[in-house]
Amino acid sequence: MLKKMKLFLLILSLSFALTPASAQDKFRTGTNLGATMRMAAADFKASTGDPQTGPLNTVFNQTLWNDLDNSGIFEMVAKSFYPLQTPGSPGEIKLEAWGNPPPNASMVAFGNLGVANGKIEVQGWLFDAKNTASPQVLGKQYKEDATPENARLIAHRFADEIIYRLGGGIPGIAETKIYFISSRTGSKEVFSMDYDGAGQQQLTHLRSIALSPRVSPDNSRVAFSGLITDSQRGPSWQILMYSLDLGRPVNFSHFGGGNFTPAWSSDNTRLAFSSSMPGDPEIYTVGANGGSPKRLTAFRGSDVAPVWNPKTNGQIAWVSGRNGLPQIFVMDADGSNIQQMTSEGYAVSPSWSPNGQFLTFSWIRHYGPGAPGGQDIYIMDVASRQFVQLTHDARVNDFPSWSPDGRHIVFQSNRSGSDQIWMMLADGTHQQQLTREGKNSQPNWSYK
Amino acid sequence: MRDLFSERDDWKKPMAISAGLHILFAALVILAGYVSGPRGQMWGGDTTGSSVTATLVSTIPLPHPQVTSDNIVANESKGQTQSIPKPPVEEKPEAVPIPENPPKHKIDRNPVTPTYNKPPATPTPQDNRVPSGAGGPISGPFASFAAANARGGISAQGGDFGSRFAWYVQAVSTKVSNNWYTIEIGSNVGPHRVWVTFDVQRDGAPTNVRIEQSSGVPSLDQSTLRAVQRIDTFGPLPPGYSGSKVSVEFWFDYQR
Repeated sequence: MLKKMKLFLLILSLSFALTPASAQDKFRTGTNLGATMRMAAADFKASTGDPQTGPLNTVFNQTLWNDLDNSGIFEMVAKSFYPLQTPGSPGEIKLEAWGNPPPNASMVAFGNLGVANGKIEVQGWLFDAKNTASPQVLGKQYKEDATPENARLIAHRFADEIIYRLGGGIPGIAETKIYFISSRTGSKEVFSMDYDGAGQQQLTHLRSIALSPRVSPDNSRVAFSGLITDSQRGPSWQILMYSLDLGRPVNFSHFGGGNFTPAWSSDNTRLAFSSSMPGDPEIYTVGANGGSPKRLTAFRGSDVAPVWNPKTNGQIAWVSGRNGLPQIFVMDADGSNIQQMTSEGYAVSPSWSPNGQFLTFSWIRHYGPGAPGGQDIYIMDVASRQFVQLTHDARVNDFPSWSPDGRHIVFQSNRSGSDQIWMMLADGTHQQQLTREGKNSQPNWSYK
Repeated sequence: MRDLFSERDDWKKPMAISAGLHILFAALVILAGYVSGPRGQMWGGDTTGSSVTATLVSTIPLPHPQVTSDNIVANESKGQTQSIPKPPVEEKPEAVPIPENPPKHKIDRNPVTPTYNKPPATPTPQDNRVPSGAGGPISGPFASFAAANARGGISAQGGDFGSRFAWYVQAVSTKVSNNWYTIEIGSNVGPHRVWVTFDVQRDGAPTNVRIEQSSGVPSLDQSTLRAVQRIDTFGPLPPGYSGSKVSVEFWFDYQR
């Protein structure tokens, strides 16, 4: 027996010794290394003499710069530090001039743009300025019809490529959209815009009131609640649908009572919403086509504003007034295992982060006349219930919504004097106003 | 009769002893009150209120400057702002011979934390010079990253991946650091270093995550594993790289 064991061990050790050492590349790194990457985005070089080239190039350069800056990954090197000569192709770039002070950039984005025969053609490169041996990280080519919208679109795509590579697989948000309610036409309608506030356009023409738009994860439909008048039942609040593919409203099941705050599951198969068909507003789920409604909550007090955990679709966070003032609760998607997340003040408008880890919501922590503080945006770690306050300006900040990369939050604030849409990084920095015309509220960030 | 009187005399003495003992006891109680035990509550101190501490900012997956560098503009040493020409840079040969068997890395269990309260005794002009007036931006150590990846903290080993794709190494470092939620670690844990190894597949997914060198603190080890496991992808490996996967040795420096 002992002999056999010895033999076995011998064979085992031999087999290890004889295994060829695989040519495995390896690197070593760690935390607390390196500052934010310094990124230079050179103005693209005009490659044709077409009169459209100049204006489109300006739009492109501005958009690319903003996208890279908004990503929060880079420290953008100001253009005043750049070399005077604008590189248009890899043959023209002098890496030493970019990698050393004054620019001292780690990465350089550059390229050329030209309009010919009504088409805009862009070639873009991303070079590692500190690596003269093999500097190219990215090289891309784009061709579209020559319009300012397409110049912006190409800049968004190129920026997303850069962010995806250098951010370690972060999905860029430059091509995402934000849906919101605007009353600039006199009635509250659903609008859409690019994530940076450009290209705002009206979707619905209800001429009554539309609220809480929620775009489906496949970007095909927008669900919202609207006040409509039925010939038999009279006016009522219903969940309505707008098809982005068809560009018009489409049918969706009507229910009794008032129906508010729809929310898509991230697999696009179900909707959760609040309905007062039993008399008291309760949370219901239905299929994406409006069939087989299922009641989840049964408690006195309003239950509204459900939102799915997009990572698992196994949990729903919502706002409940069962204990008095509205508070954030979390339950399993079948209505079991109810947990209260906030226990003071007035907490509304939850939104769940794409990785399922955090909730963001609007909170008046000290509620009542003369209480200090305002209504501010908070995020909370769902597991530990630790929270952090993101806005601090003591006015009303509400309706936060996560971006698909989990790094940005769009919200509504009246700090500028009227309700407008604002965006910030998810740590509260880099806050910027996106809308200015009329009153704009209840933003919802698309999934992609 | 005389016996009765003498009894009365005897009665006084115990009374005196009793009174003395009582006074002594009272004095002792007062004295003890002064000597030991807290008087009143500590204001703003170690109270057990119901408020929750908010320490999440560092845990949100966002980039943050990871190097705490000496602020060369505001330190305690004397300022010497005159421009001094740079000393000639010593040219180093491009190719450094790689030793046959690279020495196993030495684990520094107690990494030295930089101290800021000791200014250098004789500040040399090169150390505290404010780089101004030379026609460029302030380019202190806080802004240099890429070159350091290849030559500094990150060393290429078993291939030239680290030098060819320094940007990918940087992306891995940033992403893991941002997904490391140090709130998961207990509050009474001192500074430690944990080594974790994992492979990055062609599609960027981390696999085969394991502790190479434990800190001895289970919660800390667990948090480092979670940091890597939480990540779905680092983004696909660079197109210019032909291998199917890359091994990573990653260190986590925990400092309270």
